[in-house]
Amino acid sequence: MRRIASLLAALAVSAAPALAQDAAWETEGLTDDAITIGVMGPFSGNAASYSKALIGMMAYYDKINDEGGVHGRKLVAVQEDTACDSAKGLAAAKKLISQDKVFMLQGNSCSGVALALRPTIEESGVPWIVAHAVSDSISDPLAKNIFHGVPTGGANGRAMAAFVLSKPDTKNVAIIEHSNDWAHSYSNPARAYLEEHGVTPSLELTMERGQTDATAQVLKLRQEKPDFIIAALYEAETAIFLRDLKKYGMGDIPVMGTAGTDLENTLKRTGDFDTVKNYYVIHSYVDNLDGPKMAPWGEMIHKYYPDEELSTFSFVSIGSAEALVAALEAAGPDLTRSKLMAALEEVRDFDTGILSDPITWTPEDHQGVKGSAVAGFVDGSPTVLKAWGQSY
Amino acid sequence: MSNMPTPRQQSLRTVLFWAVPAALLFLPLATNAYTQFIVNGMLISVLVTLGFSLVIGNLGQLAFANTAFFGIGAYASAILSAKLGIPWILTVPLAGAFGALGGFLASVAALRGIRSYYLAIITLAFGELMRWAYLHAKPLTGGTDGMPMPRETMFGISLSDDTLKFYIFLAVTVLLVKGTLNLMRSRFGRAVMAVRENEIATASLAIPTARVILATFAWSGLVVGCAGALFARHVGHVFPESFGMLQLIASFAMVLVGGLGSVLGAVLGAVLLTALPEYLRAFPGMEELFFGLIVAAVLVAMPRGLASLLRRLSPVFTERYYREGA
Repeated sequence: MRRIASLLAALAVSAAPALAQDAAWETEGLTDDAITIGVMGPFSGNAASYSKALIGMMAYYDKINDEGGVHGRKLVAVQEDTACDSAKGLAAAKKLISQDKVFMLQGNSCSGVALALRPTIEESGVPWIVAHAVSDSISDPLAKNIFHGVPTGGANGRAMAAFVLSKPDTKNVAIIEHSNDWAHSYSNPARAYLEEHGVTPSLELTMERGQTDATAQVLKLRQEKPDFIIAALYEAETAIFLRDLKKYGMGDIPVMGTAGTDLENTLKRTGDFDTVKNYYVIHSYVDNLDGPKMAPWGEMIHKYYPDEELSTFSFVSIGSAEALVAALEAAGPDLTRSKLMAALEEVRDFDTGILSDPITWTPEDHQGVKGSAVAGFVDGSPTVLKAWGQSY
Repeated sequence: MSNMPTPRQQSLRTVLFWAVPAALLFLPLATNAYTQFIVNGMLISVLVTLGFSLVIGNLGQLAFANTAFFGIGAYASAILSAKLGIPWILTVPLAGAFGALGGFLASVAALRGIRSYYLAIITLAFGELMRWAYLHAKPLTGGTDGMPMPRETMFGISLSDDTLKFYIFLAVTVLLVKGTLNLMRSRFGRAVMAVRENEIATASLAIPTARVILATFAWSGLVVGCAGALFARHVGHVFPESFGMLQLIASFAMVLVGGLGSVLGAVLGAVLLTALPEYLRAFPGMEELFFGLIVAAVLVAMPRGLASLLRRLSPVFTERYYREGA
């Protein structure tokens, strides 16, 4: 019996993934002319539209390759589908790490999948830049090899509250939200930020998903007369809420929405400009999607993916790809995984020219993007704002 | 020619049953973390398919609560491990017990005489109700964020190690497959099939049909509940969306492709349809297409599933519902 146990233990140990970060491990997935990067995302399934987020990043790799690569090495993307499913995502990560033996990982939409991947990737030690999923728990607590390259839910929540408080004389803030974790991921950090700045929400309301009328909530708000309303609602419910707000004569109160809603889509849903004229949303970019600052990025994507239809998601991962290339440059030609991670931790106030806020990674904090801009209608046109009345 | 196995074939079948898991003991020598992960997933699918097949194949009840049993097992394991600090390995039988309890609850509708499409809808609703509970009982289940499994070691090896998990999963799978085979070969197993063929005639033989139905649902829940506990450790994080309609459809397809009411079929269906998506990884979006084509092709060419093909090849693969030599 003891012999069998020993055999099983020996088998287990022999097949266990090599954790020893020796020289071979340091340069795995690296050749003289290529750096292989595992790109995981939902390329199939119900959330396949999120895979657009990875297209911009891969187009940026192609651009760098056309310019000669990094220290003569091309960036070679190895795509794996997660289908936004945790088991499939784990299989994808294990394939990339243990079979394809990529040098590093970048990508991942779907926070649930990324959360499930975290222990496996952390244990592997392979550098991973999260380029779309927003859950704070993916990169907090700190893991040596995990870097967040987009604003997290917490960063967005704080950005919402900061914008609200940037409006002069804002003292009375109300919050309306869905009773789910998605809404809480925005409202909790927003609430914390408000309280840090001496403002306690005067009214907290719930509007459930699928609700087609917001009269009860709006009537309560009318009694409270808030200076600003924070709305952590999905787009359909946002349109209903804004419609009812205007109906009861409160259309002049500004409303701050999440990154889960789009300004122009909300206008399309309501079909009435007056309803959305005081609506503001989190917007992670330096310009409107069709603005001049975004145009070169759109052209870059179309150069390498001519059939790609651009959306908000198309641009989100490009900033972290730029930061990666900068770190690879800084790490030098004798690249190793440890050198790359050290170089990533030296990225400071990196202006991507596309994300509204810079990327900073330090040895103590791998959540690189600490804020977001806000989009709202100014003089009838969608405008990116840094703060109340202050264009980007 | 009789399809009954000769004594020699009976012996060969016993040897084969034990030879397969014995050979599998050496599989980790030929796998990497990825392929081992897929094999581990196959073992879980075998149990899920087996439990499902028992109710819809052996018992003949159109009940779709198995995804609920799977979720109950997974959440029971996660909650017992994370909240009460019980070592994961001990949560496996406990998750099986919770799954059996789920099976008992799901059988209540059948015991009230509800059958056919009505039973299908009620059991589907049971599954959705459980998913609602996973989403909304946040202090217990973690809500939409799900529940991470705590890090643990066994024999000094981390339980995140796919090889160690493989040996545990294999032991649990062999135990439950053998247990189910023995159960189906017993007087109880024959009563299960008698209920499927004619419930009223079965009752006229003084067989307590209600008890048979209840016990089959409970055994199915136990098998699938244990699979849920393995799944919790396999993925390391339990999310509500893992126990929805997609999981149900995949399990149903495994049962049909393998062969309704066949233990061998459950194994074949689970292995084939767990491996297939991995082979199609390089072609995103093709998985659904091939999945549908394979299910359609098998059902048209072999309506009794892949197990029937093997039975035609040799009586060794004929499943018996009696004790040999008795």
